[in-house]
Amino acid sequence: MPTARVTTLGPLLFAAGFAFLLAVLVAGLPFGAPPMTVGEAIQGDAAGTVGAANFVTAVVLAYRGIDTLGELSILFAAAMAAGLVLGRPGERRAGAAPAGFILRAGADLLFPLLLVVGLYIILHGHLTPGGGFQGGVILAAAFVVPVLADPGRPPEHRRLAWVEGLAGAAFIATGLAALAWDHQFLAPLLGRGTLGSLVSAGTLPLLYLAVGLKVGAELTGLLVRMTEADGEAPR
Amino acid sequence: MIALAVALPLLAAFLLPLTGPLRRIVGPATLLLVAATAFSAWPRAQVEPFTVAIGGFRPPLGILFYVDGVALLFVLAVAFSCLLLWPWNEAAGSRKHALTLLLAAGCSGLALSGDLFNIYVFYELVAVASYGLAAGAGSGRAYAAAFRYLVLSSLGSLLALVGIALVYHRTGTLNLAHLGELAPTLLNDPLGLAAFLLLLLGLGVKAELFPVNAWVPEVYAGAERRVSALLAGLVSKLAVLVLVRLLVLVFPTDEARTALLLLGTLGILSGELAAYRARDLARLLSWSSIGQLGIVFVAFAVPGEAGLVAGLAVALHHLVAKPALFLLAERWGGSLESLTGAGRRSPLAGALFVLFALSLIGVPPLPGFWAKFLVLSGLAAQEGGLWWAAAAVILATTVVEASYLFRVVGRLYARDADGATAPHATGPLTGAAVLGLVLILGGASAGPLGDALGHMAAQAADRAAYLGRVLPVRTIERPGTLTLNAAPEARP
Repeated sequence: MPTARVTTLGPLLFAAGFAFLLAVLVAGLPFGAPPMTVGEAIQGDAAGTVGAANFVTAVVLAYRGIDTLGELSILFAAAMAAGLVLGRPGERRAGAAPAGFILRAGADLLFPLLLVVGLYIILHGHLTPGGGFQGGVILAAAFVVPVLADPGRPPEHRRLAWVEGLAGAAFIATGLAALAWDHQFLAPLLGRGTLGSLVSAGTLPLLYLAVGLKVGAELTGLLVRMTEADGEAPR
Repeated sequence: MIALAVALPLLAAFLLPLTGPLRRIVGPATLLLVAATAFSAWPRAQVEPFTVAIGGFRPPLGILFYVDGVALLFVLAVAFSCLLLWPWNEAAGSRKHALTLLLAAGCSGLALSGDLFNIYVFYELVAVASYGLAAGAGSGRAYAAAFRYLVLSSLGSLLALVGIALVYHRTGTLNLAHLGELAPTLLNDPLGLAAFLLLLLGLGVKAELFPVNAWVPEVYAGAERRVSALLAGLVSKLAVLVLVRLLVLVFPTDEARTALLLLGTLGILSGELAAYRARDLARLLSWSSIGQLGIVFVAFAVPGEAGLVAGLAVALHHLVAKPALFLLAERWGGSLESLTGAGRRSPLAGALFVLFALSLIGVPPLPGFWAKFLVLSGLAAQEGGLWWAAAAVILATTVVEASYLFRVVGRLYARDADGATAPHATGPLTGAAVLGLVLILGGASAGPLGDALGHMAAQAADRAAYLGRVLPVRTIERPGTLTLNAAPEARP
């Protein structure tokens, strides 16, 4: 059928053309020697101004803090939209087979470990690679593993909603506190501290804690909601 | 303080599920606060635009909001459009309330931000919130349309991101003013043009730009009319505003303008011709929306202040007219045939439809006439065949527009042949009536309104002033390096 052939050929041609265009453009870029215009300035400025040993965190939470707030909101919007499409919290799958002893014991053992690792990564985000987004995902894993091991366990939507809402609000409240302190919105507060120590970089660790809790609660809610939607499907 | 225009809707959206008995009023109250924030900054920005460094970091290191008349005007438009199209009839604390607030926050951010990647973040926020709202009607048709929208919009976001990556790799900065300073030496080549085209196509998805607007009719026909009104009226204008900032500050080249002119002209042609063939009112309005945004693009392609005034006029007119028409279409679903006699049964709705149709076509003394007049006079002042062709296309499609809109009006007032037409919903007309009042007032005060728009356009077109306000102290020793010659301000 000619029409079918056209519809499969079109995207292929487009993708090939786009790849060719990109290859030509990339060939013209100064590879290996990127212009570090702002990057270099931030590298010189970050330790003294922000006080975070991990410069990436200084960029993510201080210099471009409102980007991070935007990304949190995007995640929240995606969770809201998914909730709207997946519908109301359904019944737990009634006929789900209970997990065996090994799975349940393993899940119970994993839970504290994942919790500690997640919190460690969140709280050291201003010192070492890691931070709120990465640690938040590990926290989510900590809460999802027991649900997967024991599908009959009742979900805790209300508690998750509280964590989600309050963590997001805490991020903005920190920003508003800076605004009220006669600073700009989202300016780091509380002094820089000693570079490299756990209590340093002002409010940045607190912001990362808020990010981590929000990301964790959001992903947990989303995954739990999806397991429920899965159970509804056969009806 | 202006950062509140973004922060407050986000805060309200995060806390909405926890607000208990206040749920019903939190959203509208927040939008009123956003409007109040914009009003409080209004007098200062009218005298001279100012910048707000988010986090207190000096540009171009940190992100800044650039507050001028145009930005505040659009923040006000965001607040009032969202209030007018607020999902009042949904259950309190519904996810649609939160998504509308997130959309408002993203739109305010797009109006204010002066940083390329920050704009991308807000653009994504608007995009994701609008996927949810588009799918919110809950019908299979809405899901299918929303999925199509999601795929196309993701492709657009990818293109825009590639464009941003190219720009960043060439210049090493994301601040619009800093980019504007480096652009003449670093982006004035085929690579810069390619980056602009990628950004144009990427951001053009929301702005209903010609080749990337295939999602428009399906989504607008399938989603709730309130959502269609929000997307067609508000969101498309914010995407256009971002493109205009890029055009003025970073890519003020003839090639970029020609690309905008060509795509805009093609948009007018395809939109109006498709609208002529449309069989139901929602699709007709969607295609006409594509055509109107084509005019906006053509207007902004005109260099200098004249183009900005004309583009702002058409954009604002469409911002008022199209949501009203979609709200009216909420009563009149189904095919055009089923509209027979609907105007006789609800005279006010019929009269409002006629009013907006006349303004859309451009009948004096309605604002739509002045908007089209400004565009045509701007085009006439340019030399070259393409400009004249665009003017000819606008004039010719006005006839097409008149023909299909009058066909609908004729149906509305036709006598029922057999009296067996389906009864139409009779919801309140408040929203459309308010917008009608705005339109009439705008027409009555065309003179002062034109002066105000001219002042804002002059502010927005002043490239040198924007660059100077954002980066007052810096030296560029050689392209691509940045020396900060002032000591960082002491941080208490």
